[in-house]
Amino acid sequence: MRRMSDVPLHPEAIPSSNEPLRIAVRRLRWFKQAFLRHAEAYGRDLGCTFDVDEAKLASVFVRWLEAIERQKPADKSQRRAFFEFAAALMLRELVADMPLSATGPAALAKPDSAAAFWPEGYCCTMFCVSIHTAAMAQEFHAATEVDPAIDDLRHWWSFRENARGDPGFSAGFLQLILGNQPNWMMPDVFRARLVQEAR
Amino acid sequence: MSSQSPLRPDPMPLREALRGLRFLLRRGGETLAETIPIETLPKPAADLAGAVLREVEGIARSMDALASGFVQSVLGGAEPQSVTLDELNAGQGGAAQFGAAVYVALRSVLRRVGAPGVFVSESAARSAWGEGRKTDAATLTVNLMDARVVRGPTAEEAALVPGSALEPVAIFAVLLWLQSTRSEEENEEALHAAADLAVALAPDVARACADRDTAAIAELYDRYAAHV
Repeated sequence: MRRMSDVPLHPEAIPSSNEPLRIAVRRLRWFKQAFLRHAEAYGRDLGCTFDVDEAKLASVFVRWLEAIERQKPADKSQRRAFFEFAAALMLRELVADMPLSATGPAALAKPDSAAAFWPEGYCCTMFCVSIHTAAMAQEFHAATEVDPAIDDLRHWWSFRENARGDPGFSAGFLQLILGNQPNWMMPDVFRARLVQEAR
Repeated sequence: MSSQSPLRPDPMPLREALRGLRFLLRRGGETLAETIPIETLPKPAADLAGAVLREVEGIARSMDALASGFVQSVLGGAEPQSVTLDELNAGQGGAAQFGAAVYVALRSVLRRVGAPGVFVSESAARSAWGEGRKTDAATLTVNLMDARVVRGPTAEEAALVPGSALEPVAIFAVLLWLQSTRSEEENEEALHAAADLAVALAPDVARACADRDTAAIAELYDRYAAHV
């Protein structure tokens, strides 16, 4: 596993709030500000500009809230596991109706990197990892580690291709990146993940 | 109870009249420019039509500057107030404060959704407030639609909202914002977020409002007010 300090995150792009992150992230104004700041920061890193469709972003946010509400477990002992899963659902919604578009190629990204291959997907994934990392630290004092798969372009290629046909695949990809083994039959169903872990 | 002092006349009717005039001149100038194809007219007629059009545009601009300056500097600002629905229900300002808050917020929301040219009636917003009793957001939503707080051609004007959904979506956004928890600094961002949420929920909002289903409207507010 890789330590999060090796991963190019932008903690400064997380807006300050008087509320816990788990609450703030479920407010559209905070969510939007966080997303816009991450798009700007990663655009700077990659040497491109990201246009953000704010109407799409709001739709993504609403669908994410609905998905969380639908899948939220009643059992409090599953809270931490669902916390991790919520980030996967966020990536699913972002990729399903991508609110980002890069204007031009990622000129500063390494040629065979995920960022060069798919700047929008890379930025959305890093946004989800970033929010997840900050929230886990705040809520559970837990350090997040990432799987070496994050550096493997084959995983990113598979992610992009499969997510086109099945948006749920994005949720599986994020679980993989965060070191969990997704249930690839139903990667965006929380209960399916629990059943698999129980085996 | 009205917030107006008995010694001072209520400026709202004058404010409304000026806004109406400004709206009329803006629309009139645009319509005239769109209707008269000056470039296709023969020379003398083109000169005459051009002169008339310039004259009308000049009057519209003067009126626009006067009305805008007057309304914004003397009769009330254009920034959304940070008041909440609970505060309105608890306070003495009642209909007058509600009307002023809804006017400014609706204008901002309509700009946000790509319909800046639509007329908003503060007097209609004021009349939608139930005097002397606590008023819930869903009832106010229906009251505002009944009072026709949003007027003028709307169907094809909004960039982000499908046709007839513009009025309910804009009103829903304002009432959602009035119920949201926010600081003074977050006020405008919260209003934009409420507008974006309302657009994202447009089919549900439009359906509930068309059915005048206050239970469904209230449920939408309950579900999303904490997420603005």
